[in-house]
Amino acid sequence: MKKIKSIAALSLAFLMMAGMAGCANTSGGDGSDGNAAAGGEAGTTAAAGGDTGAASSGEIKEFTAFFAVPGNELNSDNRVQNAIAEKIGAKCKETWLTGQTAEEAIGVMIAGGEYTDFIVGSSGSTTLIDAGALIPIDQYWDNYPNVKNFYSEAEWNQIRNEDGHVYIIPQFGNVYMYDTGTIHNDEAFWIQTRVLEWAGYPKIETLDEYFDVIERYLEANPTMEDGTPNIGYEILTDDWRYFCLENAPFFLDGYPNDGCCIVDETTHQAIDYNTTPTAKRYFQKLNEEYKKGIIDPETFTLNYDQYIAKLSSGRVCGMVDQHWNFQDAENAIKQQGLDNCTYVPVGVVIDKGIEERYHSESALDATGGIGITVSCDDVEGAMKFLNDLLDPEILTLRNWGQEGVDYLVDENGLFYRNEEMRKNAVDQAYLNANMCPYSYFPNYEGMNHDGINACNANNQPSEFFEALPEPVKKCFEAYGVQTYTQMLNPSKENSPWFPMWSYSNAFTTETPWGLAKVNMDEVKHEYLPKVVISEDFETAWNEYLTVYNDRCDTEAYLNALTEEVQRRIAIAEGN
Amino acid sequence: MGNPFNAEKKQTISLKQFKNQKVLILLSIPFIIYVIIFCYVPLGGWLMAFQNYKPKNGLLHSQFVGFDKFEFLFSNDQFLKVIRNTLAMGVINLVLGTVTAILFAILLSEFRFNRGKKLVQTISYLPHFLSWVIVTGIVFDVLSTENGIVNELLVNLHIIDKPFNFLADPKWFWWIVGFANVWKETGWNSIIYLAAITSISPDLYEAASIDGAGRLAKIWHITLPGIKPTFFILLIMNIGNVLNAGFEVQYLLGNGLVQSVSQTIDIYVLKYGISQADYSLGTAAGIFKSVVSLILIVIANQLAKKMGEEHLF
Amino acid sequence: MTNKYKVPPQIEHNVKSVKDIGKGKNAFLSRRTTGDIIFDTVNLIIMILFTITMLYPLLNTVAVSFNDGTDALRGGIHLFPRMFTWDNYKAVLSKELMPTAAKISVLRTVIGTVTSTFVTALLAYVLSRKNFIFKKQLSLIYVITMYVSGGLIPVFLVYKALGLTNSFAVYILPGMVSAFNMLVIRTYMNGLPESLSESAEIDGAGHMTIFIKIIFPLCMPVIATVALFTAVGQWNSWFDAMLYNRMSDNLTTLQYELMKLLSAVTTSGKGQTAQSMEHASGMVTPTSVRAAATVITSLPIICLYPFLQKYFVAGLTIGGVKE
Repeated sequence: MKKIKSIAALSLAFLMMAGMAGCANTSGGDGSDGNAAAGGEAGTTAAAGGDTGAASSGEIKEFTAFFAVPGNELNSDNRVQNAIAEKIGAKCKETWLTGQTAEEAIGVMIAGGEYTDFIVGSSGSTTLIDAGALIPIDQYWDNYPNVKNFYSEAEWNQIRNEDGHVYIIPQFGNVYMYDTGTIHNDEAFWIQTRVLEWAGYPKIETLDEYFDVIERYLEANPTMEDGTPNIGYEILTDDWRYFCLENAPFFLDGYPNDGCCIVDETTHQAIDYNTTPTAKRYFQKLNEEYKKGIIDPETFTLNYDQYIAKLSSGRVCGMVDQHWNFQDAENAIKQQGLDNCTYVPVGVVIDKGIEERYHSESALDATGGIGITVSCDDVEGAMKFLNDLLDPEILTLRNWGQEGVDYLVDENGLFYRNEEMRKNAVDQAYLNANMCPYSYFPNYEGMNHDGINACNANNQPSEFFEALPEPVKKCFEAYGVQTYTQMLNPSKENSPWFPMWSYSNAFTTETPWGLAKVNMDEVKHEYLPKVVISEDFETAWNEYLTVYNDRCDTEAYLNALTEEVQRRIAIAEGN
Repeated sequence: MGNPFNAEKKQTISLKQFKNQKVLILLSIPFIIYVIIFCYVPLGGWLMAFQNYKPKNGLLHSQFVGFDKFEFLFSNDQFLKVIRNTLAMGVINLVLGTVTAILFAILLSEFRFNRGKKLVQTISYLPHFLSWVIVTGIVFDVLSTENGIVNELLVNLHIIDKPFNFLADPKWFWWIVGFANVWKETGWNSIIYLAAITSISPDLYEAASIDGAGRLAKIWHITLPGIKPTFFILLIMNIGNVLNAGFEVQYLLGNGLVQSVSQTIDIYVLKYGISQADYSLGTAAGIFKSVVSLILIVIANQLAKKMGEEHLF
Repeated sequence: MTNKYKVPPQIEHNVKSVKDIGKGKNAFLSRRTTGDIIFDTVNLIIMILFTITMLYPLLNTVAVSFNDGTDALRGGIHLFPRMFTWDNYKAVLSKELMPTAAKISVLRTVIGTVTSTFVTALLAYVLSRKNFIFKKQLSLIYVITMYVSGGLIPVFLVYKALGLTNSFAVYILPGMVSAFNMLVIRTYMNGLPESLSESAEIDGAGHMTIFIKIIFPLCMPVIATVALFTAVGQWNSWFDAMLYNRMSDNLTTLQYELMKLLSAVTTSGKGQTAQSMEHASGMVTPTSVRAAATVITSLPIICLYPFLQKYFVAGLTIGGVKE
């Protein structure tokens, strides 16, 4: 009996040990595999020319990519992806950030030392470059003109790392020819067309005028047709989306969206927009409107879903937001047939005479982009893949799909879609199975390379006018414009330092200015709503200022930004 | 439950004892190896708290900064506030969670309709499977100032004259989180107590009935003492968890107006650490939480031991 | 109350005496006092209210899951969909990896639960032996594990060194012994009469025999509880799939697939520029698809509970002891 039990115990112990040893063994195997791969890397790189040749003769290479942003995974038998793969002999399996922050995901990857072939670090980009995880693209790009010519020399200089190499290719904001510019996708004060129609399409220039129209409308129309009460103004403050509350002051002062500060055009100094007299007047106005009941009383406790729900009901007359942030709500409004409750942008400033700059041209964000990692054992192949994806034919496949299936072409070469194609284009399940935009690989905006069509369907003017609701058309007519962007001032040429947010986004708490930024966000997120709902504005405003000045080292923050402005000017001037 | 003579025996007849215990010791060995590999080896990562950890340098080559990270945490008024919030919500969750779970388990075990009993039990644990995003969405609906059921009720009963925005008032936040937790987890938490109640001998109830004890008396004198060991074990373990008051609920329910009471240690670490590519700060905060937890459970454990109740070690 | 003592037929032979007692009690209980009636009525009302509040969130989720996605954005859906559609389920089920994910989820749940429950119970048995000399030390070693963690990166590195990345084993091994579950089982074992194992020991039975033949069967209610905890934990966990098996599509799980759908909206957008958000915005998963995914992934595990409930029957253990 004793023997049996000790045998039993021993064998159990043995089993557990064996399990662990087994693991240890496989890990050993893994390690040597890794070495083999690393050793082989040089070989493949050397023989890269031959490799690419082989690829075109039928075999399809498969690359891997990780994007440290949330996104939608495509099916592996995706139709357009296969069509592209047939043409260029390569495809890429894309994985996205899930339930983690970008820094966490990137940190784990660096620690483990294993990467996908392509990587987008998002806010972890700097960490990736620092860790030596990316290969210098500029050493390989001579044979790949589409990559090399994706940006001008001056633009590449902005992207270069301190060591002079290019490690990442920013994917967005590269306009081919010109921006078709129908939709203002960015921030503005938005107002419903029914409000403008009711008021007889007045010219709205200032913050006071904007609220005045809404106030008068609300007084005359306290409820919607079905009896639900109208809401004058909504402010979203959910987490990082609280820009809808806090960043209006720089727009009101006529500056473009630098995000983190105002840059003085003449002195090139960074200025804090959070405490300017304009900021005070703006928040005082919000405070007054809140007291009058124009602003939704529960606006500051809404999360994003509920904000979208309120907007979707068509009850909300106006708000500050970026268009992409409430696009879904607008779709819901249209679905209910409440077309006169959709929004148009107005370029509101604090005092008459200030020139508003809500609409900016797409700008280069030099701090984020796609890179090829040191784990990639076929760098030439990866470069070829990037190069091929920028080929005009492939670009059309990525952005429009396959001719005859996803879009049609008329006798003038103009692309258009029929009703079913339009429906498919918003059906996520259909998109996952059929369309392959390679959305985080470099792509163009503006025009297609044929010079006739827009780069993608959403910006195709004909498609745009087709989908435009009647009340918006009427509104545009009344103001003598044709598109959303024309509701605002035409964009000016971007300053060499624009946009400053591409710099401040990479701040970390290691630096005094990075810490200042987090603290500023914390204080503003807490105190600005308090200021707006306060019974006594002056006291609340002063309390905000006290805490703000106490907790935030704005001096370090502004100095860092000013320095960056100078640096960017110097690069632009070619020094 | 522990044998008070254990220690003495061990000293006097340790060799014989050892032989008798051979099997138990052999059985323990794999468990010791297991726990070392899977739990204690990774603790080497605690070194990170004393470094300016950079993933590229790894644990071995990152720059040592001593107690800088701890200093950063504790020199900040905000962090102290955050500890207060975490503790408060942790304690509220602990008390509300335990009381409701026990109460529900007892009521359910006393429930007369057998079919209904299984149904209620199954339904009770459904909310556990819904994500916090969904649950907080419902909390928002319930508390809304526009047609929220709570405000409708309070206004109609003339307790308040106009809808009150509970989520905008720092006074209410901890309790809303507490009740959201209760709502989501009561059924789930009660499972363990239901299992404990099944181990109580029916003879005891029988005997009590014969003595003429009523339902409440039986609950008080038989059921409660019967689940006492489970209660103590869970209590001690959960006391160690008061600093793990969570992240998601507060993050989802919180807003600027209640920020001063809604931020927990985990949220703070996310904002000032992980999102800033500072991997060390989180480890420092983690060590702080571990130390506090261990101190708390050692105290709780010794108290339970003194009281002669079930304890952990 | 009557059925509380009903014993499942398969163990009837063990518990004859209890069954008899139960019968006696039946007769006794038929004389209900006014107090009993009040108590039961109040209890019934509480239970009904409770059930309604607990059921509502799920019914609401089901309603939303059958509602058109864009329409659902408006909110205000309670128990019934406003614009009925199957599209959300189609969208979730059309995800290519769903069949693989379902298979892996079932496998990890079954294998993980069986191994973990057995091994954890064995440790609980060892630590419930009153005279075991390292009882205190070993308990402490395990208790500590509940409150310490090396952190994300160190744990990742250790698992990677063990060869657990891109393997099914990472779902099973790290969670094999749970200190919490062990303590719950041990508490239950401590409540069993010592005479049981003592008499077996006198008969010459070894520890493994006592554990498998006597103690384990007697612990069924707590084993069922722990198995349920483990199964639910296994079924719901997605972080390990994401962290260790991200690149192995053949090892994906249902919850990870669900998380992929969810994270498009819940991950903080910090560090995302306006421009990159534009490119992501068309991909935001509608609430209704989230709801459908929740229903699909949670229904199977919710169905597990009724099957385990038969083990939560009073009299089971003690009946055995009485014999």
